[in-house]
Amino acid sequence: MATSTGLYHRTYRSELALRHTRAEYARLALMILGLVALPYLVNNYWLGIVNTILIAVVGAVGLNILTGFTGQISLGQGGFLAVGAYSSAIFSSRGGMPVVVSIILAVLLTAVVGAFFGLPALRLKGLYLAIATLASQEIIIFIARRWEWLTEGQGFISVPRLEVGAFKVERLTFEWQWYWILLVVAVISTLAARNLFRTGLGRAFMAVRDQDIAAEAIGVNLTHTKVLAFAVSSGFVGLAGALTAHYTETVTWERFTLEVSVTYLAMILVGGLGSIAGAVYGATFISLLPPLLTEFSDVVKDNLPFIAEQLPAIKNAAFGLIIIVFLIFEPRGLDRIWQRMKDYIRLWPFRY
Amino acid sequence: MSTFINLLIYGLADGAILALAALGFVLIYKATGVINFAQGEFLLIGAYAFYAAFVLLGLPITVAIVFGVIVTTLLALMVERFVLRPLIGENPISVIMVTIGLSLFLKAVVQMFFGTSVRAMPSILPTRSVGILGGSVPLNRLYVIAIAAVVLTAFTLFFRWSRHGIAMRAVADDQQAAMTTGISVRRVFAMAWALAALSALIAGVLLADIAAVDGNIALYGLLVFPVVILGGLDSVPGTIVGGLTIGVLKQMVSGYADPGLAAVIPYVVLVAILMIKPYGLFGEVRIERV
Amino acid sequence: MSKEKHMSRRIPFKVAALCGATALALAACGGPSSSEASSDGPIKVGIIADLTGGTGDVGTPYNEGMVDYIEWRNSEGGVEGRMLEADSNDYAYEVPKAEQLYKKYVSDGAAVIQGWGTGDTEALRGKVASDELPFMSGSLAEPLTDPADSPYNFVNVATYSDQMRIALKWIAEDAGGAAEVAVFHNDSPFGTAPVADGEAYIKDKNLDLGYEAYPMPATANFVGLLSQAKSQGAKYIVIQNVSSPAAQVAKDLKAQGLDMKIVCLNWCSDELFITTAGAEAADGTMMITSVSPPVTDKPGNADPAGFLESKGSTLEEKGLHYLQGWYTMHVMAEGIGAAIANGDDPTGPAIREALETMGPIDTGDVMGTPEFSKDSHRGSNSAGVYEVADGVMKTVEENVSP
Repeated sequence: MATSTGLYHRTYRSELALRHTRAEYARLALMILGLVALPYLVNNYWLGIVNTILIAVVGAVGLNILTGFTGQISLGQGGFLAVGAYSSAIFSSRGGMPVVVSIILAVLLTAVVGAFFGLPALRLKGLYLAIATLASQEIIIFIARRWEWLTEGQGFISVPRLEVGAFKVERLTFEWQWYWILLVVAVISTLAARNLFRTGLGRAFMAVRDQDIAAEAIGVNLTHTKVLAFAVSSGFVGLAGALTAHYTETVTWERFTLEVSVTYLAMILVGGLGSIAGAVYGATFISLLPPLLTEFSDVVKDNLPFIAEQLPAIKNAAFGLIIIVFLIFEPRGLDRIWQRMKDYIRLWPFRY
Repeated sequence: MSTFINLLIYGLADGAILALAALGFVLIYKATGVINFAQGEFLLIGAYAFYAAFVLLGLPITVAIVFGVIVTTLLALMVERFVLRPLIGENPISVIMVTIGLSLFLKAVVQMFFGTSVRAMPSILPTRSVGILGGSVPLNRLYVIAIAAVVLTAFTLFFRWSRHGIAMRAVADDQQAAMTTGISVRRVFAMAWALAALSALIAGVLLADIAAVDGNIALYGLLVFPVVILGGLDSVPGTIVGGLTIGVLKQMVSGYADPGLAAVIPYVVLVAILMIKPYGLFGEVRIERV
Repeated sequence: MSKEKHMSRRIPFKVAALCGATALALAACGGPSSSEASSDGPIKVGIIADLTGGTGDVGTPYNEGMVDYIEWRNSEGGVEGRMLEADSNDYAYEVPKAEQLYKKYVSDGAAVIQGWGTGDTEALRGKVASDELPFMSGSLAEPLTDPADSPYNFVNVATYSDQMRIALKWIAEDAGGAAEVAVFHNDSPFGTAPVADGEAYIKDKNLDLGYEAYPMPATANFVGLLSQAKSQGAKYIVIQNVSSPAAQVAKDLKAQGLDMKIVCLNWCSDELFITTAGAEAADGTMMITSVSPPVTDKPGNADPAGFLESKGSTLEEKGLHYLQGWYTMHVMAEGIGAAIANGDDPTGPAIREALETMGPIDTGDVMGTPEFSKDSHRGSNSAGVYEVADGVMKTVEENVSP
């Protein structure tokens, strides 16, 4: 990986900064410009998709903390999303608490639940841990389906439109308003996660991923660290779930099945494990794929009607195929591809 | 009593099929270290390949089975060569994701060719019911148990006594050491996948016969995980015990308690076992070195 | 070291707080509005269908019927001279996908929406009401018929609860006294929809029926469920599920040699059930559905049959749900036509008004004559009772009300 030459630090503070070079600041400025201009450039439908991407970013970042940085495979995201969504919906609509408070409580509750389901990680690794988290997913969803109290027998919870004090989300500007709210939350979450890995705790996570027995030997408290990893990650995922509840205004268990867990895993793998930026790229890519395939199939339907019947199956096949091909050609994900592009430009005309 | 016998036989039949499916999964995991999330889809493709030959092309049963074997073995070999070999040495999570992508892809391909409706297939195994100890049990379930028993015994003998079987066990135990004795690891990988496809085909065809030819066959792929944990990854007998236990457990729960619970019970049992014995009931304890 | 960390964390917080305040202020200001539908071109119909998901086996013919109707209607001159344009997509029974498709259709300027599953119809109910788009669905859940709760949802045929009531009424007559009823239902909002109402009906009418509900998991056999029903002493099994699992119940019942009668509600009352279960296992099953099967040869069969013939297919091939999709779209099209005939633009509120005031809508006796009003969006509450004999559905009684 190429870095700029001539980069010297004289204080610890400058070394710890998130951005070092002028080029990086320039890219940051471009990105901010793009994010601010986005809602003016796309129509409501695509803005809605962007909103779902922003929520997915929060969830993917959370999952990456657990799987990418701490090395604990988890198939339980759907369940934790459900915990965040149900608890926030119940706290706010039935508990009568202000929305912000109920979201924070939902995050905390999900963190606790996550820590609980993370206890198997203390004894299990690899395949066994993956299966244990699969079990947690199925069990949480089963409880969500069967526990009548959650939905007061209705089968789903209806969440009233977001209202914070005097600020109210209106019908005509729904996607627009939600874009800014979700953007702020996504940016804060991403920054917080990035920051986490500049701290001792973050480094402990990475030590556990690389060689947990050796980490224990140098003084990392394995129990403490692993449980905290699950808790922090589940907190992020719970936040994503709570946001889903308020944004989509209905909470049903059908939103949080194993397919969703698998989709989140796909996001961080396609984006790049162990990289916060990778989680963002992956979330964007995987969330954009189905609507893009739909657009593509609309075009195909008009021009090639004879395969119109097969289109839904072809879309599903394309989704699976893209994931496979992606991982074969760049197992380290979109993040690595971006790195390689940057390196190519930096090092040109040299090869390495 | 008759209810109990009923549930027991149905559970054993289900469990026998599960054991076959799990066997394929264990083969792949032990030989190549890959966690194959697409095992359920192998069953699905096996079932549909057989259906295509038997019903759509009207071929006799034995020919249809051979056709099914060819299709699934080819598929498995192609997957091993083109999808998994490039990923040797990569992060195991990436490999898991690739098999998940593969399962999505295969399921969609089956939908493309066969649609989503249930397909009718004439029964291969007899469907008359016989009375056993007061319970009324269809013959086909008993046949399933018998056939699965034969196949599983054959596999056990293969691993114990045949040269190729021993070679596979050697590679599963220690790849480097196996290579020094002249065993071709690549060939063993290919064989592991091919045998997994074979057991998936048999399981898929049996399932298609007693249940229906539709997408639900793939769901057995997920159930393989609790079976494998229960039985441990290191022995065929363990897999058999695991499969039968889970099958019977599910059936009993659906018969005596909330039927929805039957779907979740394997996972609850799984978690309970993992808490006490992290490597499964029959698994060997792995020693990790830094 | 901690002082440095403390300082380097403060700045991002300040920046974040500033950004957050700006963003919220911008949000409160409002933004650009979405496009409105044009008033000259084709009328867009957004269709959300399950083609590859858990209910795809019945969702596919339903969707085909709907899309074919639009093609046929356009070839017959459209609706009051205006063409219909179908935008149909698969959502695989996943609620988030349904929401995405809905938003797409809204931004594309759809005038009406045809939905499918109970879960997603419930999820979209609020949005549909605030977006003012008439919505018909494959879901026949009773709450959708109350304009106070769901002002823009319309249910053309008997609701699941009505079907359950009719089933129980028939069972009470057939049993001639006391009987035990087991209800096998899909493990989802779709499945549980009629369960509570069925129990209430038994109390209301003072029927001497025992009543137990069992959710059906996605398994290969239902022997466990059947043995539980048997220990309940059930003689009748009402199934609220789609055809494939229901057919499996029939097969298992036959294999077990149990003396129970299956009563299917509308989503398993079709030819698919009969072919999947096999004529032997299916014979004797009672079916409750508001859609007259093709074999009953109603006058309304003529149009779809003719259309299918020109495409090289027959009604018998496509089945009952094809007709259901066809005529569901027909009712919606008639509503659009009535709105235009009244002199209004076919906008959501106008179409809703038209549907509520136009009186009974003719479906050639295939789906009865749905009629809506300001107080009720329930098209009809009657259904036909059929029995499977010799591999076909034979009419027992038509137009039965609860």
